[in-house]
Order: sequence, then structure tokens, then C-alpha cells
Amino acid sequence: MPRPSISGESPSCPPDEAAGSGIPGLDPGRLHEVHAAGDDRAAALAFALVQAGAGGRPLFLVRPRGGGRRRAGLHGEGLAWLGLDAARLTLVEAADETVLLRAALDAARCPALAAVVIESAGRLAAYDLTASRRLALAAERSGSRVVLVRIAAEPRPSAAFTRWTIASAPSAPLAGAAPGRPVLAARLDRRRGWAGRQAHWLLEWIPERDSSHGFFRPLPPASPETASPETASPWPAAPVPGAVAALAGLRGGAASRAA
Amino acid sequence: MTLADARARCPELVTTPEDPARTAAALERVLAALGRFTPVVAADPPDGALLDMTGCAHLFGGEAALLRILAEEMTRLDHAPRTAFAANAAAARALARHGAHDGSDDIRALPVAALEPPAETLVALRRAGLATLGDLAARPAPALAARFGEGLVLRLRQLLGEVAAPLVPRGHAAPLRAEERFPEPVARTDDVLDVAEDLLRRLGRDMEERRLGGRRFVVTLCRADGARRRLAVETGRPTRDPAPVMRLLRERIESLADPLDPGFGYDSVALAITRSEPLSPHQIGLEQGKEAVDDSIAALVDQLAVRLGPEAVYRLVPANRHLPEVAQAALPLAQGAPGRAASFAARLGESPPRPLCLFDPPQPVEVIAGVPDGPPLRFRWRGHLFAVRLAEGPERIAAEWWRHEGAHSGNLAGHPENGALTRDYYRVEDSEGRRWWLFRHGLHAEQAHPQWYLHGQFP
Repeated sequence: MPRPSISGESPSCPPDEAAGSGIPGLDPGRLHEVHAAGDDRAAALAFALVQAGAGGRPLFLVRPRGGGRRRAGLHGEGLAWLGLDAARLTLVEAADETVLLRAALDAARCPALAAVVIESAGRLAAYDLTASRRLALAAERSGSRVVLVRIAAEPRPSAAFTRWTIASAPSAPLAGAAPGRPVLAARLDRRRGWAGRQAHWLLEWIPERDSSHGFFRPLPPASPETASPETASPWPAAPVPGAVAALAGLRGGAASRAA
Repeated sequence: MTLADARARCPELVTTPEDPARTAAALERVLAALGRFTPVVAADPPDGALLDMTGCAHLFGGEAALLRILAEEMTRLDHAPRTAFAANAAAARALARHGAHDGSDDIRALPVAALEPPAETLVALRRAGLATLGDLAARPAPALAARFGEGLVLRLRQLLGEVAAPLVPRGHAAPLRAEERFPEPVARTDDVLDVAEDLLRRLGRDMEERRLGGRRFVVTLCRADGARRRLAVETGRPTRDPAPVMRLLRERIESLADPLDPGFGYDSVALAITRSEPLSPHQIGLEQGKEAVDDSIAALVDQLAVRLGPEAVYRLVPANRHLPEVAQAALPLAQGAPGRAASFAARLGESPPRPLCLFDPPQPVEVIAGVPDGPPLRFRWRGHLFAVRLAEGPERIAAEWWRHEGAHSGNLAGHPENGALTRDYYRVEDSEGRRWWLFRHGLHAEQAHPQWYLHGQFP
């Protein structure tokens, strides 16, 4: 099968896509940041867990202890619906930010994990350049991915290898105007050693036959059956037009995979 | 008597299925409690205990006082004991199990059933007109043995005290404990911990001989001025290896609210392993990858559980209920590795999609619906208005009426945590593309103005 080389056609696109997904994956041994707005928490977590949880190894999710009025937990059946076995996922709840980062650092040092996903909401003051450098070093040494999901937070200088912004995107309706399969709008804001400045994808979650596995596959950005033009991108004013992935490359990628 | 007969005679009878494991555990607890009366305690499964009180009764003020104290002790453990004293264990057992409740201790007045013979022997004894042990004892033993077997005569002679009926007392394992006293007080905590590591190594050899592994380790630091400090750590799986335990201990010391103060120094350190489990000698496999993975994750879980509390490190497991918020349970990993639990994936086929994030408690929202039973058109949550673009539903989830008194008649309303009203769930997508899980709490037939709640978010 001829693999479409996005980087070959569009120099603004990052190299080395994750096998089979058509977008750059979350590399092992690196620290990744996933940003999302407050109402896109589920989308950001789904992206982080599915992209980082490749392979059968265990996952750790470190999160603030649910307290107060808005406590939102994970749902095991929802995980299974995304193709993630709840038996692989260990949840760790930390009382405050410092403890959260320290627990995440300990988990990141464990070489047996596929990934450590850290969930945070708000500013996360304890996450400074030093803390991010520590996490990045721990990931480098253990070879597991460390994914920091930052909900409703301003991006801050950090030692992260990639920075993504994830939002929910309109799905292709099923019969009877029912919501379809999950669709995310992913924007790669930054990747070390990459000249481009931004790249956009619309990702649709594709279940495999037995629906116990699945992956995010890029959709052609403005294909008429998935989205109307005004809702295709959740960022109305895309600031860097040159950084958008070449349409041809993505279309080719999606088409050749569908074939 | 069959269960149906029993129920017909006593309609308010409460029945539970037999659980031999729980019965055995309860008996074990009773035996442990009885250890305060005498060192020689033997089990008489499934529900009895034999105590050799020789030379012990006077410590409790005589036999009558002893029985009173024992009854109090058993009542505290929620058991109602039947007790009897006799000159030998077999007789005491027969009096307790088959004796009249008037406190008489006449062995010969006991019915022949006290010998616990097989059913046909019992019938034959009764047909022969032999009602009590006294009747049997009056007959010549060889004739009885010829007719009913040697076993019956042996049991009879045991009851009458002619043949010894020895007890097999419950064994006591030697406690796993070690102590080191210093000739001079040691002021550095690190040095004391090094000694504790030595003690651990010593006890590790002890445990290896007994094929045990420790789960709970308690280090007691005794200061020269008499103050004691106890540090306890637990591991998720039994271990004999000092290194992980020492790591947990150092973790515990770091996370202490008031730090260790050596004062003028410690003059002794004691290590006790208060909980242990069987642990066979470890065989090193040819492929070590899998074991190393399991070990490093277990060590990580232990470390996090010590620092954050055992409840803070958990896995989600399915629970046997169908309301979404209680269909899963958090299983703390520090209490040992979970067994092969059922998987959530098994439910995939039978239910519509479930959200990834679940709000706990459900968030009340204001909803505008087109028709009373229809999906929402718009909803307002935390001051934001969400316009619904696509909707699917309802998926009706009935209330767990069997858990609430009066709930089946619809008397209970109020917050969904009561779980007493039917819910109609809708999967909706708003104009921005976010997918939500909303439910209407109560049918219109159940409630005049059902409240809507936001219960989850799909990716």
C-alpha cells in the first residue's frame, strides 16, 4: 500500500506520522501537552487516552481528587466504548497540584507503562518550566509517554515535545438525526524540531470490527458530507493559513486507507 | 424438613444460602477470641469449639463465672453460645450439642442421638428400645459391637470417660517480630532505618522458611526518653524483599504530618510483620520481561498508595447495577491485585453508547423541549445556552424501585441520587459539536414538571 507522505507534499506538516492513523502520534519517551476548553474535556481525554494508549501495556491516569460541586469522573462503559479496557487503566487521585505532579513524575519513571496521562483543570501553577523538564526527562528515561491534559488553561512555555489543542467537532449524523461517531478537531500547535507553525485535522473515531479497538482517523477537512463549511473548523479565524495541511495529502491518505 | 415446610410453619423465617467459607472464617474469629480463656482451644467444625479449662477456671472466678464471661464475650461477637462442662471433651461436646437445657450434666440421661450414629443405626437403636446412653451402657459392650459396630461402642466409652478423647488444639504461629537494642542511643534516623533494614532481612529469612510474605510492616522506634513512634506500611502483594519495604518506609517518613524527632536518640527499634500471606519461593523464569513489568507496576501502586492513601489508587470495575452512576465501582489496588473481574466490554453489545465522562452528581439544567416527551431543543448550563443540533433517544432507564421503600408507587421524588424515578436519556450534539448525555428525571405521568439533568459528556 503506498503510504501518503504528507511531509513530502507539504513542508509545513510534521514528519513521521503514527502508523495507520495519518497524523503524528504521541511519541513514546516524550512529554506531550493537550489543551482544551472547559467544555471539551471529554474530547481531550479521549484523544489523550486513545492516542497514548496504543499497545496493550497499562495506562495511568493521574487526576485531581474530585471535589466540590462539579465532580466529573470517568465511566468504564464509556472507556470500553472507545476501545479502552478499564482493566488496563489505573486511576490515581491527588489532593492538590503539587502532589498531582509528583505522583505523575513517579508514574512517569516506571518503565512498564504505555503512558501516564495527567488531567488538570485551570492554571496548574505548579507546572512550570522546571516541572515540565522533570516530566520530559522522566519520560525520556523510562520510554513511556507522558501526556498532560490541560483543560481551560493558557499555554505556557514548557519542555513539552508537542502541544495540541483539541475540541469537539460536529459529527456526521446517523439516520434519524442522531449524533454520529466522535469527531475531534485537533490542532498541532508546536512540535520540537518542526518548522511549521500549526496543522489542523478533523479526526473521526473508527471502531474496528469487534468494537473492542479503534483509532482516530483524519477526515478530509471540508468534505461536504461531514460538516458544513462554517462548522468545519472550530477556530473561525485560522491565523496561519500556510500551516494548514495540504488537502490533497490528507484526502489521499484517507482514501487510500479506506480502500 | 424441607424449606417449604419450614416456611409454612414459620412464615417470618429469614433464610440465607449456606456459605462454608464465611462460616469457617466466623469460627476462626470465635476461636481466636476464646484464646483468652485457655491456651488449648480446638475447633469442632462447623460451629463448635472445645476448650480444655484444666487449671484455668479459677482465674475467672470458678466455672459458673467463667461461663458468664464467655457468654458475654460471644454475645459481643453476635453469637449465642450453648455451653457445657464435663470431665472430658467428648462428654462436654455431647452435653452442649444434645443435652437438655436445664443445666444437668448427667451423661447417661443423654439421648442415643448424642453418639451421632448413622441414621439407620439410630432407628435400629430406638426400635430396640434403647433411648438413652444409660440404657446402652447397661448392655454388654460385645453384644452392642456385634450388632451396631465397633465405632458406636468406642464413642460411647469416650463419652463415659473410659477411653481418652484427646483434643487437637489450634496451633499458634510464632509472631514475626524482631527487635534491636542499641548500647548507646542513636540520634540519626537514617542509621536507625539501616538497622530496621537488617531486621527486615532477618525476618525475611524467617518468612522464607515458613513460605510467607509480609503485607503489613510496623516499625516501632523507641526514643531514649520513652516516647514511641510507630510507622506502618502496607504492600499490595506479599514480599520478603527488604528494598521495596524500605522505600515505602522512607516514603511514609517523608509524608508524615509531624516529622520524626530523634530527640536524644533512639535506643531500640522493633519490627513486626502484622499481616502475612503465603508466598512460595520465587522461581526465576526464563523470560523475565513480564514479571519485571508486573513488579514495577506493583511497586509504583504501593508507593502512590502510601503517599496518597489506599483509596486514591484504583481501577474501575463493573458493578452489578444498571443506573449509570452505580454501574461501576472503584476497586482500590493497594489491597492486592484484582481478580479476573468482568469486563465492561461485555456490555457493549447490549446498551447504546455511554459517555466517557460522567458528572457526579448529575448537573441540573434548564431545558426547552419541543414536545413534552421529546428531546431537548436547547439547554442552559452554568449560564451558557447550548443549541441542540442532533439528538438521539430516549433510552429509558428505570429506577431501582426494589431498593427504595415506597419507590415503586412513585412516592419518592427529588434529587436523582434517590434513584427513585424513571429517567429518559438523550444523546445530543450541540451546535459546536460537543456531545452530551442529558436525562429527564421522571416521566410526565410521575411528575408534573420533570427536572432535566446533564449526566455526561461524549468525546
